[in-house]
Amino acid sequence: MGDLLDSMLDLMRRLPPINVEDNVNSLISICPDYADDLLGSVDQPLKLKTDRATGKDYLACDYNRDGDSYRSPWSNEYDPPLEDGTVPSSKLRKLEIAANEAFDTYREMLSRFLSTIYVPLIISEAVLKPKEPSQPTGSWDSIHVFETSERGRQAHYKLTSTIMLNIIATKDAVGEVNLSGSMTRQHEQDGTLTDPTSHVSNIGRMIEDMEIKMRNLLQEVYFGKTRDVVHDLRSIESLERERKQREMQRELMGLMKR
Amino acid sequence: MHPDEQMAVAAKFILQSPPGEINDVLNDVRNIISDDELLQEGVQPALRQYNLEQFVVVDIPEHDHQVIISDVGRVEGEQDRFRDPQAKLTFHFDHLRLEASDVQAYEPDEDTEPFRSALEKATLAYIGDHFPGGVSTVHTITASKYAIQIVANKYNPSNFWSGRWRSEYIVDISEGKVQSKILINVHYFEQGNVQLSTTFTPVFDLPPAAVSSQNASSASKIIALIEARESEHQEAMIQTYFDMSEKTFKGLRRALPIMRQKLDWDKVTGYKLGAELAGTRGAFGN
Repeated sequence: MGDLLDSMLDLMRRLPPINVEDNVNSLISICPDYADDLLGSVDQPLKLKTDRATGKDYLACDYNRDGDSYRSPWSNEYDPPLEDGTVPSSKLRKLEIAANEAFDTYREMLSRFLSTIYVPLIISEAVLKPKEPSQPTGSWDSIHVFETSERGRQAHYKLTSTIMLNIIATKDAVGEVNLSGSMTRQHEQDGTLTDPTSHVSNIGRMIEDMEIKMRNLLQEVYFGKTRDVVHDLRSIESLERERKQREMQRELMGLMKR
Repeated sequence: MHPDEQMAVAAKFILQSPPGEINDVLNDVRNIISDDELLQEGVQPALRQYNLEQFVVVDIPEHDHQVIISDVGRVEGEQDRFRDPQAKLTFHFDHLRLEASDVQAYEPDEDTEPFRSALEKATLAYIGDHFPGGVSTVHTITASKYAIQIVANKYNPSNFWSGRWRSEYIVDISEGKVQSKILINVHYFEQGNVQLSTTFTPVFDLPPAAVSSQNASSASKIIALIEARESEHQEAMIQTYFDMSEKTFKGLRRALPIMRQKLDWDKVTGYKLGAELAGTRGAFGN
C-alpha cells in the first residue's frame, strides 16, 4: 500500500507542475481511498477565499480543510459552515491570531502577499499577479509547515518549506514560455521561550531565513540552471568555430612552450 | 472505475512525461493501475502518440545514423512502419522497446529526391554546428513540400536535469512559405520539480531563390534562414529569462524588506500581542 502512494508521489514529482491540480484529481478518481493522503502530501497552488463574517481574505489549503469546507483564521468559522468542524484549542487559537498579526507585518514589508496562518502553525502566502500586460506574469505560493515540541524553556522546531513559483511569458519572438514548479527544503532549530510571544518570533526568524535561502535557490534553478540546459541543447555560437579556436589555442600554447 | 476510464487517465499521464523519463512514468503508472494485462493492451496508443509527438529517435540496424520517429515519416497505410529517407529504408518500429526491425529498401521518388537530399546534407551540417548530440531527418511530403525535423536530447539524471529541443519546418515551395515549430522542454528535479516548456510557431517566407529553383544552393539558403531564425529565437529566450528574473521574480518577492534589513521579530510581536498571549506557553501540549 505504501508503495502505491510512493508511486503516486513519484509521478507528481515528474509530471508538469502547471498541471498538478488536474493530475491530483485524476489520481483521486482512480484511487479514491488515497484522496486524503494525496491532498496532504502534494502541495497545490493556494486559493483565495473571503471570510463572510469579517470580509477579509484568506488562503484555502489542506491545513484548514475539513471535508469540503475551509476554516477562516479570522473568524474561526468554516465555509461552507460545518457544525462539528475541527477547531484549535483556545490556547492554540490565541497563538494563531498572534501569528497572523505578526506575519501581516512581514508580508507588507516584502510584497503584495496575502498570508494566512493556521495552527498547528502553517504559514502560507500567495502573490497577486502583476498587472502590466507586457511583462511576464507570475505567482509565488509558499507553505511553511512547523512541527514544534517544548521542553521547559526550550522549543525544538522542524520547518518544512515549499515554494511554488510559476511564470508565464508570451512574446512575439519567443512564443509561449512557461517556467513553473516547486521546491521543498527542511530545517531544524532550537529556540528559547522567554515570553509568550517567543514562538511567533522564533518561527518568524526561521521563516525569514528560509525564504531568503530559498529565494536564492529559486533564482539559481529557475533562471540559471534551466537556461543553461537550453544552451546545452543548442549552442548559439558555431560549434565548428569553437573547435577551431580551441585548436588554435593549443597550437599557440605549443609555440610558446618552445 | 471503468477500465477504459483508467486507461484514459494512464494515457494522460504518459503523454506528460518529461524528456528521458517515460520509463519512470510507465513504472509509476503500472503500480497505480496495478493491472498489467489491462495496461499492456491499452498503453500502446499512448506510447505511439508520445513517441511521434516527442520525436523519439531510433538506431537503424547496420547504419551509424539515427532517425526521428514522427507522423510525416510514417509509411502510407501502415501504423508502425516508418521511413529512413537517408538510407532509403523502411522499418517496423516497436514503441515500447524503441527498436527498429524488418528493415526493407525502397525506391525514392526520382523528381524530389535530389532536393530532399540537398536539404538533408545542409541540415546535417547545420545541426553538427549547433546541436551537440542533435539528430535530424528530412522527408519529402509531396512534390513541393518537404519536412525538416531536428531533435536534441540531454539526459543528466545524476545532476537532476533533462532537456529536449524539437524543431520542425514544413517547407512549402508552391506557397513560398515555411511553417515552423520550435519546442523546448527542460526538467530540473533536485528536491523539487521545475519545468520549462516553450512553444514557438512562426511562419516565414522562403528566399526567392528557393522558390524559383530547387538545388544545393537554394537548400543551403533555406537552412541558413532556419539557422538565423533559431539563433534569433534563442537570443529572445535569453531576453525573456532576463525579464522573468529581473522584472517578474523581483516584483513578486523582494530579497529584503523595504527597510533593506531583516525584520526585528521581537518588535513585530510587540506589547499588544504579549498581553493577548499571556498563558499560551505549553500551547503545543507537550
